[in-house]
Amino acid sequence: MPNYANDYTLPELLAILASREIKDGETAFLGVGIPLLGGLLAQKTHAPNAIIAMESGSIGPQPKRLILGVGDNACIENASYCTSLWRLFSDQQNGAFDIGCISGAQVDKYGNLNSTCIFGNGDYWTPVSRLPGSGGANDIASSARRTVYIMPLQKRRFLERVDYITSCGYIDGPDTRMKFGLPGGGPEAIITNMCIFRFDKSTGEAYLDSVKEGVTPEEVRDNVSWNLKFAAEVKVIEPPTVEQIEILRKLDANRIFIGNGLANLSFENYIKYLNDMADQGDHTP
Amino acid sequence: MEGFRKKNDKRMSLKDAIATFVKDGCVLAFGGFGGEQNTQAAYEIIRQKPQNLTVIGDSPSEQMDMLIGAGLVKKAEFAYCSYALAGLGHNLRRSVEKGIPIKVEVEEYSNYTMGLRYLAGAMNIPYMPTRSLLGSDLPTYNSKIIITVDPYERNPIALVPAVRPDVAIMHVNRCDQRGNVQMFGFTASNENLARAAKHTIITAEEIVPTEKIRQYSNLTVIPEFFVDAVAEIPFASHPWNMPYSYAYDIPFHRQQLKRFETREGFIKWLDEWVFGCPDHKAYCEKVGWHRLNALVTVERKFSPMIY
Repeated sequence: MPNYANDYTLPELLAILASREIKDGETAFLGVGIPLLGGLLAQKTHAPNAIIAMESGSIGPQPKRLILGVGDNACIENASYCTSLWRLFSDQQNGAFDIGCISGAQVDKYGNLNSTCIFGNGDYWTPVSRLPGSGGANDIASSARRTVYIMPLQKRRFLERVDYITSCGYIDGPDTRMKFGLPGGGPEAIITNMCIFRFDKSTGEAYLDSVKEGVTPEEVRDNVSWNLKFAAEVKVIEPPTVEQIEILRKLDANRIFIGNGLANLSFENYIKYLNDMADQGDHTP
Repeated sequence: MEGFRKKNDKRMSLKDAIATFVKDGCVLAFGGFGGEQNTQAAYEIIRQKPQNLTVIGDSPSEQMDMLIGAGLVKKAEFAYCSYALAGLGHNLRRSVEKGIPIKVEVEEYSNYTMGLRYLAGAMNIPYMPTRSLLGSDLPTYNSKIIITVDPYERNPIALVPAVRPDVAIMHVNRCDQRGNVQMFGFTASNENLARAAKHTIITAEEIVPTEKIRQYSNLTVIPEFFVDAVAEIPFASHPWNMPYSYAYDIPFHRQQLKRFETREGFIKWLDEWVFGCPDHKAYCEKVGWHRLNALVTVERKFSPMIY
């Protein structure tokens, strides 16, 4: 039996759940933060041959330090290929990326994601909350062979219908992706702080697949705005192992993504961290 | 403004380059992507205050958000306007949500389809087809995106219009005085943007002799005949990173973005860091050469320059 960890943070759990979605040998299009930590963790555990692709045009980075942005220098450190943004996305449209990991402020029962704006009492032109926009999320949702979402479970975020579809899930139900001409396979899972949803391909709807230890399916349903269906047997999520937590804490030594490390990161400590990594860091997965 | 691209020596100060090419009402596009940014070009534009700009970028940060906050932007075409890990695009938010300082018109695409718009411009064709955007609400609120049927295979396809900006500005690793540009990391979409623009301003970490360019010609991503002006501006990307040159100054950027959270904080930042510094050298002095050099020293350890 694996040695399970007693002490871990929520972002650590999410990164571990993301890592489990990535299989060995797959090419994964990952954003910075939890998805990337998940990818790096997968490389260091069950998927040593997984390849990470970053939006700026970097493929296969093996940095000694933590990647801080999609165009960070760490993305090109020990990479196997550096190209342009449009070339990398064209490779994705051409079917080269097995899995993409994205997020949003709202998701609906068909797995459509919104990262553009929250209408509130207004509309697209005058929203109550303007968000950053698609970035590459629409492209990943359109063309990656499958996608995984990571977002906190809250009733106001898990809706019958999102205000604005930035990134397509199953749009209106089964077969609509094909009707609209989308090449990618669509969402596979939504990873949250309380549970994992998966999708019924015959209806295009998200259902409850598994819950975190101590969470009941009814609690999850209370945090979702549609009439949520459950799997025939709702499983309990396997907890993080001690090994997984140790790897994550080494990867993110300043707890920038797995804790609140950025708020108090001094320049001196940051430079010391970079120098330590440059001198002693390990770039083999 | 003819003839700039034919000159043998295109060196210009950043101040003169902005004054020469960036006019009221012009369409302005920025290269770079989450690094290799045009922070210093954005600062110089804000100092010179051209009005009613249309600003174009795939995932711009300072170049779009700060220009919006400075009240210089009429229209923004983009895929993502934010500072990623450092913080949100608070000026875009204030503008769209509350019309502060003025309401900007937005036209949205995705990162890939912005890249395709540059490619179409660089190829001198009117649009590019793509399988992105289909089924989403981007075409619902952007009438420039056309959903049609591919005439060959009869499948749905989305069309995005070419970008032909008046001026493109990008920051690169090095170039020569004729404007041959070399980059050592990813190129973002710089090679297409320079070709799509009517005028291209290059800021470079270093201007090197043409012999050096000829030694590694496969690194050249933009040939001289698409470039109008070159300016040697080391640290032009700070606080963002520059591949093979300096590491990301995330502690600085986080503090900067904390200040941008309020309108007052942003205006104070402009007074202190933009108007308070007459040029990029003054900015570097204010940041501190010791700090900047520490970012260079550590980056060289990770990625030694081999060219």
